[in-house]
Amino acid sequence: MHQQAQLRLKKDDVEKLGAETYVVLALDTHRTRVFKEENWLLGGGKGPFGKEKSLVFATPLSDPAGRASAIYGVSRRALRWGSWVENYPHWFVIDRKGVITYVLKPTFTTPTAYQDDVDNVLKALEKAAR
Amino acid sequence: MKRTVLAMACLLLQAPISRSAEPLSPIENYRRLEFPPNDENFERGWKDRVAADYDVINSADLTSLRAALKDGDPFVRAIAAYALGVRKDTTSADALAELVKNDKEYVVRIRAVEALALLKMKAEVIESALEDRDPGVPFVAKLVAGQIKSETDYAAQIRQAYAEGIDREAMGSAVVGKPAPDFTALTLDGETFQLSSVIGKKPIAIYFTAFDG
Repeated sequence: MHQQAQLRLKKDDVEKLGAETYVVLALDTHRTRVFKEENWLLGGGKGPFGKEKSLVFATPLSDPAGRASAIYGVSRRALRWGSWVENYPHWFVIDRKGVITYVLKPTFTTPTAYQDDVDNVLKALEKAAR
Repeated sequence: MKRTVLAMACLLLQAPISRSAEPLSPIENYRRLEFPPNDENFERGWKDRVAADYDVINSADLTSLRAALKDGDPFVRAIAAYALGVRKDTTSADALAELVKNDKEYVVRIRAVEALALLKMKAEVIESALEDRDPGVPFVAKLVAGQIKSETDYAAQIRQAYAEGIDREAMGSAVVGKPAPDFTALTLDGETFQLSSVIGKKPIAIYFTAFDG
């Protein structure tokens, strides 16, 4: 969710590039809607997103059987860190010719790694827009 | 006579071989995954897990799924519970509720909660799961509670998506420098989105994620 919140902060940059952004969850449409519309994970805290209702700027897409996720190689269908995980988060950037130009697997190694991640995605989008 | 004896001996020798060549049932295949879905295997064997998961959801017979709710392997109980929800097996509601209340493994309780929500049954059991000792279970219970009240048949939505099948060769085919593989997904309105319909018009960034990713 931090990645989506950070992307929303960069909304103007994305729009300047004329880019389209999507977020895909290997979940049904109900759970995807909750992800989009309700800030469960960062809401209520003291952080900059604590009082925000929704943090998702990208267009949410539901992948109920995880088929797209498997094609893009991010499906894991496993336990990790004490919870059941369908997908391992990954960014993909696609240029105007339909070619994948950038793939990023967030590391979550520091509390603010998502800022660099989204900046790198924006740089890749800038190149892809040329 | 000698030929007859020889032929019979050959048949006897071949019999066990032909039995062992029979394909495993979807549940048995899932049970025998080289890399079961535990934490240590997160990065390994995911294609096999995806394929086995599709096989169970699409092809396992209901009798074996119901029996698998009592399996000794928690991952088998978990996939069976989820599959019975997706397959809308309302006769399993009591057994699924029992898993939510008493299974010692939280992954089974999570999947059983999901299944009851897909069945749109046992709202009181889903509500009781909000008090579960493992934080993952209340989280999922809160997440799926809205499905029971909704008019949308989410089980049918998931079944339809699984029914498209998955091509093993296509798994993991998205790589830098290659054309982006096409895929379909659903918008929040339930409409079909096709990646190829937007490719070529604008640069695109796609973030595949888990709910908390």
